[in-house]
Amino acid sequence: MCASMDRYQNRAVSIQGDLMADRSRSKNSYRSRSTARVDRKKRRQQRASLNKIKTLKLAVMMVIILLAFAGLGGRLYILARDNQNNYQKKILSQQRYDSKTLPFKRGSILDANGTILAASEKVYNVILDCKVMLSDEKSQDPTLAALAECFGLDLAELRKFVSENPNSQYRVLKRRITYDEMSPFLERKNTHNTEAGKKGNEEMGTINGVWFEEEYIRRYPNNTLACDVIGFTGTDNNGTYGLEEYYNDILNGTNGREYGYLNDDAALERKTVAAVDGSTLVSTIDANIQAICEKYIKQFNEEHLNEVREGPGAYNIAVIIQDCNNGDIKAMASYPDFDLNNPKDLTGYYTDEQIAQMEEDETYYDALNALWKNFCISDTYEPGSTAKALTLAAGIETGRIIGNESYECGGFLEIADRKINCNVTRGHGTLDVSGSLEQSCNVAFMKMGEAIGVRNMVQFEQIFNIGLKTNIDLAGEARTASLVFTENSMGPTELATASFGQGYNVTMIEMVAAFSSVINGGYYYEPHMVKKITNANGDTIKNIEPRVLKQTISSTTSEMLRQYLYASVAEGTGKSARPAGYAIGGKTGTAEMVPRDKTNYVVSFIGFAPADDPQIVIYCVVDRPNVASQPHATYATGIVKNILTEVLPYMHIARTEEMTIAEQEEVDNILGNIVQSDPAQGEDGENGENGENGEGAEAGSEGENNTGGAAGEGQSGNGPLYVIDPDTGELIDPVTGEKAQMDYGMEDEPPEEGNGTPSAGDVQQ
Amino acid sequence: MARQAVKFRSSKHNMDYVLLTVVLFLVGFGLLMIYSVSSYEAGIEHNDSAFFLKNQAQNTVVGFVALFIMIKFPYKELQRFDVLAMIVSAVLIVLVKSPLGITRNGASRWINVGITSFQPAEVAKIGVIIYLASIIQRLETLGRNIIRTPKGLAIVMVPPTIIAGLVYLLTSNLSSAIIIMGIAVAMVFVAVPDYKWFVVIGVTGVAAVTALVAYVANTDMSSSNFRMGRIMAWLHPEAYSTDKAFQTLQALYAIGSGGIWGKGLGQSMQKRGFLPEAQNDMIFSIICEELGLFGALAIIILFVVLIWSCMVIANKTVDRFGSLLVVGVMAHYAIQVILNIAVVTNTIPNTGITLPFISYGGTSTLFLLTEIGIVLNVSKNCR
Repeated sequence: MCASMDRYQNRAVSIQGDLMADRSRSKNSYRSRSTARVDRKKRRQQRASLNKIKTLKLAVMMVIILLAFAGLGGRLYILARDNQNNYQKKILSQQRYDSKTLPFKRGSILDANGTILAASEKVYNVILDCKVMLSDEKSQDPTLAALAECFGLDLAELRKFVSENPNSQYRVLKRRITYDEMSPFLERKNTHNTEAGKKGNEEMGTINGVWFEEEYIRRYPNNTLACDVIGFTGTDNNGTYGLEEYYNDILNGTNGREYGYLNDDAALERKTVAAVDGSTLVSTIDANIQAICEKYIKQFNEEHLNEVREGPGAYNIAVIIQDCNNGDIKAMASYPDFDLNNPKDLTGYYTDEQIAQMEEDETYYDALNALWKNFCISDTYEPGSTAKALTLAAGIETGRIIGNESYECGGFLEIADRKINCNVTRGHGTLDVSGSLEQSCNVAFMKMGEAIGVRNMVQFEQIFNIGLKTNIDLAGEARTASLVFTENSMGPTELATASFGQGYNVTMIEMVAAFSSVINGGYYYEPHMVKKITNANGDTIKNIEPRVLKQTISSTTSEMLRQYLYASVAEGTGKSARPAGYAIGGKTGTAEMVPRDKTNYVVSFIGFAPADDPQIVIYCVVDRPNVASQPHATYATGIVKNILTEVLPYMHIARTEEMTIAEQEEVDNILGNIVQSDPAQGEDGENGENGENGEGAEAGSEGENNTGGAAGEGQSGNGPLYVIDPDTGELIDPVTGEKAQMDYGMEDEPPEEGNGTPSAGDVQQ
Repeated sequence: MARQAVKFRSSKHNMDYVLLTVVLFLVGFGLLMIYSVSSYEAGIEHNDSAFFLKNQAQNTVVGFVALFIMIKFPYKELQRFDVLAMIVSAVLIVLVKSPLGITRNGASRWINVGITSFQPAEVAKIGVIIYLASIIQRLETLGRNIIRTPKGLAIVMVPPTIIAGLVYLLTSNLSSAIIIMGIAVAMVFVAVPDYKWFVVIGVTGVAAVTALVAYVANTDMSSSNFRMGRIMAWLHPEAYSTDKAFQTLQALYAIGSGGIWGKGLGQSMQKRGFLPEAQNDMIFSIICEELGLFGALAIIILFVVLIWSCMVIANKTVDRFGSLLVVGVMAHYAIQVILNIAVVTNTIPNTGITLPFISYGGTSTLFLLTEIGIVLNVSKNCR
């Protein structure tokens, strides 16, 4: 009690002393006073008192701290309670929900052998976002420098643009660059930003604000090849003409999307839905056959370019080759053609002034459409004498023509007070059925038509689907329903002209489809261009099987027609269409155009090969050839002959006919055209060269058979230089008569090297 | 021998494991939050989403090494370094203006020491704690009322004030200066029996601040300087939402949108480029956004436990120097946590203050853990 009183007093004194704080009071007096009082007890007491003060003060401090925390907790609570929805909205409004489209890849178009006819390639647009780039001032220099160096852009121009448009967010600096062109920039950005992210390199600045927009562009590696068939597609993935348009939905996939959305908890989630790439079309077109057709079409065009009038060799030149046993179109070519990679280029056909003029009078797109359309399916014309095959088929099928009839031709026939001339005005004399077709006698066919009658004629027109779309899987097929006869519109004159293919219109594809059924036993196949649809990985989604729509004529009638048509080529007007070594059947056509002033003609040839076992039907139409005298089917047959001379060997169809030396030379000439493109290669090179062009297969695999036949018949010099000795069965040199062992080895060597097994020869030796 | 062994065991036993556990949890939680907050930005800017996490993990390891050294280090030896601590702190702060100094974002706050850089202001905080604990104890051995004389007060308060002034003037780091002064005042407050003067100082301070705020609020802002602009931004954050108050407002959005239970760990939207320096000063707002009021209060309670533990240790420690050290550390934590949360909630104007143990920062983590080591060491000598 006493002690505590003392301490209290002591404390009171000291506080009082402090309050009175006299500056004059020296440190010494303090010390003397305190040292005077110091003893152990006091010291312990002092410590105890300090501890009490400390405890009290700590408690006060803790209370203050706890109050502060309580206040802050309260503030947090109020913030969360009052503003949750409001601030939630603010946050959500700041978020970017922008969804980004991930483009799909449009499917490719392949030919029957897998050659790419059309394919989409991913390309990138370089986009500069100035606002993002300038969010850090230091980013500008490295970013612009990288852009200028990686994409060859002008640095000064970039700087100017950025300083003038600091808020621009979407500036396309470069369009449609490939991945390889883009990747140097990405690499540079990566290394630069890693470097800049290191400590102490803050001043370097990062490359920022540049992004790449993905896009696909359509590429056509073969440029003009099969342009009318394929059609083209712009960046909008909307096909124009041909397969691109017809199969647009199948070729197109579904765009993917990257987007942000709010989930149940109002949290932003980003989701990516991958794009589904489009399906790939495997076409029935064989790019090699197509190329052969186009080659001879162009050859014809060049031969007759500007011959009589300014312009191409004919208004239209077109060829269709169809597999007559399933309706597959193997080639469909027409001229004029255009570059699919640059479809709006008219400079090949018009001068710059003409183009400028056309742009002015808005005929520019008319000209383009005329160029783009597919003559083979879109244009109609009078078929002319090629239709005689159909007339004859109808006659035989209906029994109105038996085959033993004979017709007298005096050069014209008078029908309903009108004189209709035969193609040979002096007349053909007496002709049997086969002869009528061989000579393409109009008078005979008018008589046949008379025998067949209007009803049967119209009926067979329908049976052969003339006047109906064939439903070929190409965009732009013409409707010809109004261009053909009906029972009402067909009078005697019309019947007469229709019997030799004048007075009504057809499309080429109609004729091909009908003619195929005439010679293949009567099966009308729907012509088609695509045989398989696969997905982006190459898995088959759908096989398109041949569709037989109907039986047009009986197989016996078909058999008879094959005979007649064979004779028509072998003996008649179609002679010039026969390729050396092959037997084919077919019919020429020379149709006079309206007005019938004997100037403009559509000449054509439709045929099949080989004659005994038809594999293909070929139809060639030359619309108004650029020659002084048009009505000569030889313009068409010449093209057909050249094409078949190459295509038949390519298709592994063996030669069955004897060839004269002249013919042999002609064949060598045609096939040799290819060989001579690289004469330095010599004999071995020849084989290799042939192989590349497709005929090598014939020369290699069927060479022996051919030569076997030739040797057996005592003839020499067909293709390969060696013949088989009929006694030993070994190859001999036709000149020396010796065994061609050495040469045989030599001939065999290149393929071995090609197969990468050179050891085989060594082992044999 | 036997007696020594018993003593050794008992001293081990007395170490405050609650404190250590809380610190371990806070540090671990801090690393988790740093990864959560910074991974998005780090992935964009450094091509490595764990960039900040890795750096902070290194800092933490170094910090724990320092912590365990300080547990073993006889803390009473620190008393020898009191004046030296002041001199070293002052020299380091001055070095900021030398070629060794590093300037970032317009402020020279770092010194380059070859392999790494550090903030001298953090050294100054621990230096001031050691100096004050030592000098107060010494003055008290001379006479218990010497501190209360003007001369004694000058010996105690002038060096920390100089240090704080240097920190403010040379490194333009007002917050660290405030913390240093706060630590000094708190330690003196505990050491002396007086209240009156502290109340007077407190009331005067509040009045001065109120007057300043009233003045700033009513003046034309065209000629305003940096700090005044911050005050305006504090008063009207919505009006300055695009520049000065952008960070504050975004932090408020984060806190408000978190609600009671938060959006879930890692679900913050604000960390995706909207809240600048999210892993530094503003990490608490992301904690609020992701873990809600619940998580924020849990963290606050952990800090309260931490401070409470310090208080208990300070209370129980008989040794005056050790006790004052703990008081200083306690004041340091308390001031820093309170100021950080106050800034994040826009209770006070925005100054750059990190949240102890959780915010990203090497020097800060190192010295905070060193201080914990000292406190744990002192706790071994409790009654």
